Amino acid sequence: MSFESFLFVLTGGVVLGALYALMAAGLAVVWTTLGIFNFSHGAFVALGAYIGWQVGNVDGFALGHVLGLSATVLGMFALGILFQQMFIRPFERKENIVAATVITTLAGATVLQNGMLLIWGPRSKQISGIGEGSLNIGPLAFSWNEVALIVLVAFILGAVGWFLSRTRTGRSMRAVSQNRQAAELMGLNVPLLYALAFGLSAAMAGVAGYFVGSVRFINPTMGADPLMKALIVVIFGGIARFTSPIYAALIVGLVESFTTFYLGLYWAPAVLFAMMMIVLTIKPAGLFGTHQRTL
Amino acid sequence: MSAPLLEVRGLSGGYDPIQIFSQIDLTLSAGESIGFFGPNGHGKSTLMKTISGVLAPWTGEIVLEGQRLNRAGERGSRRWRNFNYDVVTRRRMDPKKVARAGLIHVPEGSLLFPEMTVAETMDVAPVAAAGRGNSADRLAQVHDLFPRLRERLDSKIRYLSGGERQMVAIACGLLGDPKLMILDEPTLGLSPKLRIELCQAIASIKAAGVPLILIDQDVNFLTELIDRLYLFDHGRISGVLEKADIPSHEKLMAMLFGEPAA
Repeated sequence: MSFESFLFVLTGGVVLGALYALMAAGLAVVWTTLGIFNFSHGAFVALGAYIGWQVGNVDGFALGHVLGLSATVLGMFALGILFQQMFIRPFERKENIVAATVITTLAGATVLQNGMLLIWGPRSKQISGIGEGSLNIGPLAFSWNEVALIVLVAFILGAVGWFLSRTRTGRSMRAVSQNRQAAELMGLNVPLLYALAFGLSAAMAGVAGYFVGSVRFINPTMGADPLMKALIVVIFGGIARFTSPIYAALIVGLVESFTTFYLGLYWAPAVLFAMMMIVLTIKPAGLFGTHQRTL
Repeated sequence: MSAPLLEVRGLSGGYDPIQIFSQIDLTLSAGESIGFFGPNGHGKSTLMKTISGVLAPWTGEIVLEGQRLNRAGERGSRRWRNFNYDVVTRRRMDPKKVARAGLIHVPEGSLLFPEMTVAETMDVAPVAAAGRGNSADRLAQVHDLFPRLRERLDSKIRYLSGGERQMVAIACGLLGDPKLMILDEPTLGLSPKLRIELCQAIASIKAAGVPLILIDQDVNFLTELIDRLYLFDHGRISGVLEKADIPSHEKLMAMLFGEPAA
């Protein structure tokens, strides 16, 4: 393997890692706050891509990338809250309901996917690239699309991390996730915080979808594969801290990139799952997990 | 005469389908503190959780300063009880509203938020004050009461000792600017030295003008702080003793459970 191809694989891994980090962090926000795994996160990715395409692309309203991405963020935030009110809220405060709620998110994903099929039709779409050419840093070459992805992901994750650890609303969200009863007794508005967490998570999925939609084709099930990878990331890294899925995402992205290069595309999931099993045997709470909340 | 601070009328409740307590009536005038004493497992904590809205009351009403905290009427039939979609059927009682109205409950053995630091927890706590009072004053009061917490501000709650955790819980209650504070066995499982420290802190909270509903297993400690003692067993108030009539801990135990075997 030449040095050039090594660098090529490395940049690919970093870009993939950034994308998984965004998805995994969104998943983790819902997982840690509401205590459920949200299977519709993949559908949110696709929906975000469709909204971005519809608003920003020349075949849609042709309003450009900035408005397209803004519409994705705002639209997905609102749709996330709507989704939570429709599919999750009826199950709140009931006992032994986690499994039923998780399956309901799967049902919700189906509803969303077929809804998208109904609205946008079966023909695949693609968001045009964010810029032509590439940015060369020494021997490393990133396309402007990838640069935008990495910068924006770093910014979003930094902002969400800051929100969760520094603002009173973010801290309240973490409080609710750790002890719902104590949070209610302190006067926190639990339903509002749940809705906020879901909206935030959906908006993050939407941004991920916008970028996936600019490198791959948009179709209603496009989120399924990244969702599986994000699931691996979240389990692999643990969710003790907001940062742990981010590191894990970079590791998973790099491993996937190198496995694809050396062993071929079809070995990547096998290697990832094997890696996950080994890590979980040694550290059941995940690679960076120190303490995991029980549901 | 002004409206009583807290009025509980005909309250019953429990963990569906098991009823834990029934027909509880109690009234607290402004500035009054009361205590609850009784065997473990007879429903004191369940009653407190119902008064603060964590558990929905089955019947009866809870009124704080003339403001009704639970919805009127009996709870719905069993079929409708399972249908709890908040948007359509409102909760019969909302702990958030209770806390924001100024009735603050510090539950027994509260674990708080294990992964948050003391400082972060105390930043969230004033939400219950809902604009009442001066949060800076409250914070100063908390730091005076629990100087120990000042050194632990950056520790996560799960690294704190049981006593420190209880201090944080009470501190958070105070930051919510309570009109009435329920302390459920605040000194449970603490070392004697810590217990004394905490009892002094609770006494100064009372002295600072916060009425208390106090549950404890030590009558002598209760007697110092309260105006009336409610004896509670088998889910009922079995007796009410005015401050002057409260016997010593040993006498009361003998009165309730018979003479100890010699």
